[in-house]
Amino acid sequence: MAEGTEDVITKLVVTSSDSVLPIDAAMKIYESNTNIVIKETCFGTMVTGPRDAVDKVVKEVVDLDKNHIFVKERGFPPGDERRCRASRGGGARPGFYFLKEESMMLPMIGKALDKYDRKVPLKETEHKKRLEVKDLQDIIESTL
Amino acid sequence: MNDEAVVKVALVSCGSEYAGVHGELDSVAASVNAKLIYPEIDVNVLDTIGKDFGIEAASPDLRLMMARAMAVVAGISDVDGVFITSCFRCAEAAIVRNEVRRYINKHSDLPVISYSFTERTTAATLLTRMEALTTIARRRHLLAREKQSGLTAGIDSGSTTTKAVIMKDNKILGSGWVPTIKVIDSATEAFNQALEEAGVKQEDIQAIGTTGYGRFLVGEHFKAKLIQEEITVNSKGAVYLAGKQKGSATVIDIGGMDNKAISVEDGIPGMFTMGGICAGASGRFLDMTAKRLGVDITELGALAVKGMQEKVDMNSYCIVFGIQSLVNSLAKGSTPEDVAAAACHSVVEQIFEQQLQEVDVKEPLILVGGSSLIEGVPKALGELLKINVLVPPNSHLIGAVGSALLASGFVEE
Amino acid sequence: MAKVIIYPTNSLILSDLVQRFGHTPLAMMEKIKEKISTVGVDSPPLNITAEEPKHGLKYAAVEVPAGVRGRMAIVGPMIEQADAGIIVGESPLAFGCMGCARTNELTKFLIRNRDIPLLELDFPKADDEGQEFVYRIAEFLKSLPQKSEEATE
Repeated sequence: MAEGTEDVITKLVVTSSDSVLPIDAAMKIYESNTNIVIKETCFGTMVTGPRDAVDKVVKEVVDLDKNHIFVKERGFPPGDERRCRASRGGGARPGFYFLKEESMMLPMIGKALDKYDRKVPLKETEHKKRLEVKDLQDIIESTL
Repeated sequence: MNDEAVVKVALVSCGSEYAGVHGELDSVAASVNAKLIYPEIDVNVLDTIGKDFGIEAASPDLRLMMARAMAVVAGISDVDGVFITSCFRCAEAAIVRNEVRRYINKHSDLPVISYSFTERTTAATLLTRMEALTTIARRRHLLAREKQSGLTAGIDSGSTTTKAVIMKDNKILGSGWVPTIKVIDSATEAFNQALEEAGVKQEDIQAIGTTGYGRFLVGEHFKAKLIQEEITVNSKGAVYLAGKQKGSATVIDIGGMDNKAISVEDGIPGMFTMGGICAGASGRFLDMTAKRLGVDITELGALAVKGMQEKVDMNSYCIVFGIQSLVNSLAKGSTPEDVAAAACHSVVEQIFEQQLQEVDVKEPLILVGGSSLIEGVPKALGELLKINVLVPPNSHLIGAVGSALLASGFVEE
Repeated sequence: MAKVIIYPTNSLILSDLVQRFGHTPLAMMEKIKEKISTVGVDSPPLNITAEEPKHGLKYAAVEVPAGVRGRMAIVGPMIEQADAGIIVGESPLAFGCMGCARTNELTKFLIRNRDIPLLELDFPKADDEGQEFVYRIAEFLKSLPQKSEEATE
């Protein structure tokens, strides 16, 4: 797969879109006539191939719903037997758990990106401060 | 050996993928026909694992270790043994590694090894440990053997001495004990001594078992039926000779160059550790002390029993610096008795600090290996641990006896 | 285009945002790819050989565990290359390359110790925080030079 000197990369495309389903993203990639391999996983689609081809097709997919489709490069190509649980046996590779956590944040990030594009002003969010000793004392005294 | 079933070993680890040792782990596993697997876990447990297991470790990979340990015990992951490993010198990992080891040992009967690696850890270092782990997983029925039967021989080709015994119908008929010079020559000599004492011919022996550093060479040479690492063999030999085959026991084996601490349950090792980086806690240290004192190694023990280690300042376990401390003490007027006692104390203290932290000591404590014959050693160990130390008869022949005992499993086949 | 070191170094969200706003994320994944694609070296599952912890001595002394030094051998040079940095604290569970708390402490220290534009914030927990998170990162990235003016030291 990643043989030779050609710059072969793998990108992970994670969709968190109401309008574009992961399958749509996959179909888009299948349609493209480029020299790439794709693999669908529970959290997204992995696209492997020469850098230019991957970048091109990934951009096409992202453009379907740009604020709700996220991309990162991945170290191992899909199914690499040094990493793949099918050959190594047992549980998931370590990056999986963090990816899962981040995937759950994507709707929130997507919404924020939409607002940013629409130049919705940022609401001042209140950050909770640590309780001052004096305040704590007041609370204690008022409760007793 | 590799025609036997693949043993699935759960890798419960932190740091091994980033320390340059993962290839070594895979390679040692492959050499004993084992496969390392990351135990499957339920992802959701990770949120609360710190409280559920009880250690709120800062490092996520340590929390993953705890989750994997719990999954192994719960049977979510189907494995035959567990290899727990983390970076040497990491305090946080050492705490988790120890508690995970205890947890698995307490809640399952899976064999467990625990090891802390550096980037210099190689497959060769891990071979004996991994071989023992797979043996326990795959040869439980053989290790359950409690009596020797038929006419068998055991040869223990150690780093310093080679031992051989001939056994028949659960009795030792003859033994041989020679310094190891050339592995096969020394084994032949020890074997011949044992045969002569037993009054039997080599061709009448029904099965031979070999163990120790030279086990492969010697085993091949004598066409041994059993070629087995010294952890399972010696623990078997120890409980057999001590008559403690049922229930818990702890075996400490102080050999010529290394030492082992093994926690045994019904004659089968559950947890074990091996020293091997430093020879300061081995027979070699005592041998050098004897030479410096100008006494024979066989006299060192009697001398030590009469001395008081407290009277000698020792500020290093190192075989070079430690011996130098002893020499300095002599120059300052310490008696040879006190120096001999200090040497014995140094060896057991180092075993206590390094090995016994990885194994829970349960009585009876059985001390074996050549060093157990030096009376000062069991005395020092007993004083340090405040428990009675059992030195069984023929404790120096432990590996040979264990091999002969286990080899008799092949007589009936 | 600025090279931006992100922390957590394997974050999908940060890697995506940096790229989205026209910069290059310096992320762990690409380093790993370089390592694993090197012909002839095969230390599964990651191509960290016994050499990497030795290279890591540049960042941490020998009494620091091998797993920290092995990771630093990869992260350290990334930090050195960076033109800017984004550190996100309170990350959810991150394993593997982010699985060691000691490495993470050192990584953050070394990023802070570089004299480069740096944004520090926490992972958002609710929509409001999410908006602030994205806005602050977007503004920070926009403030960085779009073209690399010179090679980094």
